[in-house]
Amino acid sequence: MLNTKGFALRLISEALLLTIVAYGFVLTPCVRSDDYSYLATDAKYWSYQPSIRPTVPSNEKTTWPKSDIDQFIFEKLVAAGLSPSPDASPTTLFRRVCFDLVGLPPKADEIERFLDRVQTDGLETALGGTVDRLLETDAFGERWGRHWLDVARFAESSGKEANITFPYAWRYRDYVIDCFNDNVPFDRFILEQIAGDLLPYESDAERARLLNATGYLALGPKNLDEANKMQFEADLIDEQIDSISRGIVAHSIACARCHDHRSEPYTMEDYYGLAGIFASTKTYFGTFVTPANQVGGDPLMLPPLDGQQVFQKGISAEKVSELKADLASLKKEGEDKRAEVMKAALEGRDASEIFTIRDALRIVWRSGGIEGQLEKVDDDGKPLPLTMGVLEGGKMIDAPLLDRGDIHAPGDVVSRRLPAPIQLNAIFNITPDQSGRLELAKWLTHPKHPLTSRVFVNRVWHHLLGAGIVSTVDNFESTGQAPSHPELLDHLALQFVDDAWCVKKLIRRIVLSHTYRQSSSFNQVAFDADPDNRLLWRVSKRRLDAEVIRDSMLAVSRELDMKRPDGSLVATVIGDRPVSLLGLDQSLPTDMDGAVYRSVYLPVLRDKLPDALAIFDFAEPSLVTGARETTNVPVQALFLMNSPFVLARSQALAERIIKRVSEEQDSKSLARDERIDRIIRITFVDCLGRSPDEVEMGLAKAFLEQKMLTDDEEGKEIKMVASYCQALFASAEFRNVD
Amino acid sequence: MPSNSTYFSRRSMLRSSASGFGYLAFAGLAHSATANEQASKVGGRKSKPHFPARAKRVIFLCMNGGPSHVDLFDYKPELNSRSGESTEIGKDRGGAKLLGSPFKFAQHGQSGRWISELFPKIAEHADELCMMHSLNTDLPNHSQAFTQMHTGSFQFVRPSLGAWTIYGLGSENQNLPGFITLNPPSDNGGARNYGCGFLPTICQGTKIGSQQIPAFYAAMLGKSHDSSPPYKNIDNNAMTREEQRTQLDLIGQLNRHKLQNEIYQPEIEGAIESFELAFRMQDEIPQLLDLSTESAATQTQYGIGNGLPTDAFGRQCLLARRMAEAGVRFIEITAPTSWDHHFMIQDALPKSCLSTDQPIAALLTDLKQRGLLDDTLVIWAGEFGRTPYGQSVTGRDHNNKGYTIWMAGGGTRPGIAYGATDEFGYEAVDNPVHLHDWHATILHLLGFDHERLTFNYGGRDFRLTDVSGNVVKDILA
Repeated sequence: MLNTKGFALRLISEALLLTIVAYGFVLTPCVRSDDYSYLATDAKYWSYQPSIRPTVPSNEKTTWPKSDIDQFIFEKLVAAGLSPSPDASPTTLFRRVCFDLVGLPPKADEIERFLDRVQTDGLETALGGTVDRLLETDAFGERWGRHWLDVARFAESSGKEANITFPYAWRYRDYVIDCFNDNVPFDRFILEQIAGDLLPYESDAERARLLNATGYLALGPKNLDEANKMQFEADLIDEQIDSISRGIVAHSIACARCHDHRSEPYTMEDYYGLAGIFASTKTYFGTFVTPANQVGGDPLMLPPLDGQQVFQKGISAEKVSELKADLASLKKEGEDKRAEVMKAALEGRDASEIFTIRDALRIVWRSGGIEGQLEKVDDDGKPLPLTMGVLEGGKMIDAPLLDRGDIHAPGDVVSRRLPAPIQLNAIFNITPDQSGRLELAKWLTHPKHPLTSRVFVNRVWHHLLGAGIVSTVDNFESTGQAPSHPELLDHLALQFVDDAWCVKKLIRRIVLSHTYRQSSSFNQVAFDADPDNRLLWRVSKRRLDAEVIRDSMLAVSRELDMKRPDGSLVATVIGDRPVSLLGLDQSLPTDMDGAVYRSVYLPVLRDKLPDALAIFDFAEPSLVTGARETTNVPVQALFLMNSPFVLARSQALAERIIKRVSEEQDSKSLARDERIDRIIRITFVDCLGRSPDEVEMGLAKAFLEQKMLTDDEEGKEIKMVASYCQALFASAEFRNVD
Repeated sequence: MPSNSTYFSRRSMLRSSASGFGYLAFAGLAHSATANEQASKVGGRKSKPHFPARAKRVIFLCMNGGPSHVDLFDYKPELNSRSGESTEIGKDRGGAKLLGSPFKFAQHGQSGRWISELFPKIAEHADELCMMHSLNTDLPNHSQAFTQMHTGSFQFVRPSLGAWTIYGLGSENQNLPGFITLNPPSDNGGARNYGCGFLPTICQGTKIGSQQIPAFYAAMLGKSHDSSPPYKNIDNNAMTREEQRTQLDLIGQLNRHKLQNEIYQPEIEGAIESFELAFRMQDEIPQLLDLSTESAATQTQYGIGNGLPTDAFGRQCLLARRMAEAGVRFIEITAPTSWDHHFMIQDALPKSCLSTDQPIAALLTDLKQRGLLDDTLVIWAGEFGRTPYGQSVTGRDHNNKGYTIWMAGGGTRPGIAYGATDEFGYEAVDNPVHLHDWHATILHLLGFDHERLTFNYGGRDFRLTDVSGNVVKDILA
């Protein structure tokens, strides 16, 4: 019910004010009609239109633009009476590139090598070489895979009311990371996640990979305590539709579950056409019925492979038979009791004592537990390789339109189909014998789809430049923000498709633009004209992501284990359990960390995230998150000041630095002063990627000297150096990038 | 009137004190009263209200999901008598039929306010409540309406109501955040609802959430409901407080030095402030959150106890009172229940009410007994109400056109009912109060003219109420 004139007018006035005041001109596509009704009837809004190949502007009077991207950026800057910022210093730029591409700070010797290369070969070549090198490291996939995991609302537990662990979810996580490292084309990547089970394969290993891909559809949040099976099913499907539509096309088609979309042309038929596709799909999410949850699912079996990691314990063949017998007898007991109750009821006797709630619960819980054990092993009790994912369902069905989304009010059946508002010049035919997932995946990844490529290049832009061309990265609807550079967005999207959806090429192109190379320095005039930096008169300063902050401390202290750990804590230690009870387990780290591997491998349990991640604005894993929040609150300060994690890193770094300085050839001959000097300098460069200036040198010296009174107190020295290391970890510069 | 100049002068102050004599003086003063005063001017920023404030602090009881006003506070006999009829109002929702309230209403107190049987304890406070029946907001969707309730805008990232309050009034207690939010929902805008937008970082809400074991297991295992210490990382075994102070000085110096290079770096300024606050919080927070110091009688009064349906919100309400006493300026607590009753409202609504009724009543009693209610504005509000017509037979849909919120204390007129919806409770027809009007009124109670409490950002003066908002004068005491 949007037709409140006043509301529409307010929106218009705000939109106009902002564009006019901030940019000095009105962005063309951001036209809101006085009449709101057009939104509900047709699809004229820009994001429904196919990308149009724009003419790249040429600015002949300047040599600043080095690429097409720069031409678009430069043109708008000039039109607003602004100009680009000067280049960032090579040191700053190098640090920025390292964080952006691999999420790790540069080492001192890497910085030196880079600066040398800038001297000999020039900045362009040096930067190009660095980017190429970083794109080929495994760390790249760990960084960029994590960005996708935010969008895929990846988590290792069900969340919501009964929060039960997903011990096989890590396989999807590793699949995503590997895809980014192996440079799987983005259209193929989407295709695999939606319909991997339906794609041809040449080996069991490939089949396993494709099944793991479909974990995308299985690991969403679920209310495993939903008493009504039909409701559970409807909610599961809704969550799948919502995640796909927000994550891949940045539209909220799921809004049409209960009524035609209020601001977009999606109808309930569009929604239920998709719902049928997922109703014809079976989702395998593991779990089983326990006292904590009334709903249990099945795991998806993988083809057995050599060297496959399987973490659940096996049991003996006898135990399997025993459990099967128990299960059968429980089942029989239940049936018998039910029959007795029926009989008593028919004879008019009191049936309340025959089958008590207590009996019923015992049977359900005990059966659930046994089924949970049996689904994880074969008949010999050998543990099975399991994953999360989807397969085609037993029956292909069209979904009935549910009046106001109510499962008790089914209406006409809607044939399985793709959303009508987005028309592609191609035929997608869902035959009666298929769910339609494959067609959906092909539709999403069609080169002419107006959203998939735009939405993704915009996500990449957001990660590299601090804000998307469409700043509401998960919302390309009319309630979202209009693109700051619509032509550039189309240009990048089309080029991305032309490049066979190659993610690394896209990232390389943006990072090597002159736009990206700008300094982040403040400029009062430009700030007054464009405070949000929508026109990119500089590169925005950014707070590092939670993972990068944690990994950086581990990297600097040289404790970071770059090896991918086995599975996940959830798979190896926690197993199947309600998350709410983990706090009682003394063997688990209280900060859900206790590890030195990369943060991307830490357990991601809904409502129980590792401290280091939760405190620094990790993506809420129940939501599609293309842009994380950035808060700056005392809780973060307390973590940096007091957490065992930071104290341990500081201690390790101090030990490393002192050892290193002590081992240096001429250290024996170093005067005390020079030794302290050396310690300060090395630590500073390691932590912040640059040398301290004189003031900083003085501050650090004053700090260390006031307490390091005597040489013989070795413990004292370590303690003070550790405190200095921690101060650097806690400095704002450590967690911000210029 | 507050202006940005305070912040810019602060910037210059920080710059001049970043090194040399300025710095030494600052560091030397770190423990003294002078430094605290300075910090209060800098961080807490006691600015002058535009007129005498009636409310010094706010306790916002946030009812996430949209509570059904027609079942709780907005008594509609017409709706009950015509239950089952199709009417004009349900027309654009496929002819949905009116659904009479299954709950009994009665008049309470001297004022004779109608309150549903689901809130027997709140009803005892009828004469203290300032009921507003004619609220309306722009959209009937959770995420937009929830964000708009908190920030005035759902389209743009804007400072939250709490952040504007801190911006206007500063912090009362320099050892605690001025704005604390307990267990806020992570969806529907998430951190935006307690964010500071373009306002200085110090105005941002600090989120406190505790991991709780489900009541069922807590009772079974004989454990306390709270599974983890209420606040982590508050102790440091590696160094003394004095050593930590020295370390913190170094951190602050490095940050200020970095700030010297550039005038506008809100992330660094924010860091300087948040470390100082964190340092001071270390002593205060553990005491603040320790409910065991409260008497058994008080705990019972709030409904705290293993397995009790009121336990979770009882704890939050008691914490809210403790925070109010300790000088936290803006306290938001989110009810641990969803009011989004699309289905089976007859069973679900009583549960939501049960879990909040006693704790809220206890809070009002407690505040009153301690003399805090006069200058504490208590707000009970959800992002919208629910439709008088049914949804899925047994539930109600979202209704943004007319709904009820109430306030108490803090200069509101007690025992009144302001505005009215139509005979069914669908649309505000008498003295409608748009969300912007309500925000304007809250700021007024806090001593601010909502049109003059502005922040210049990018050449435009922004305010909580955008370009709208009229103070509802009739509800002022």
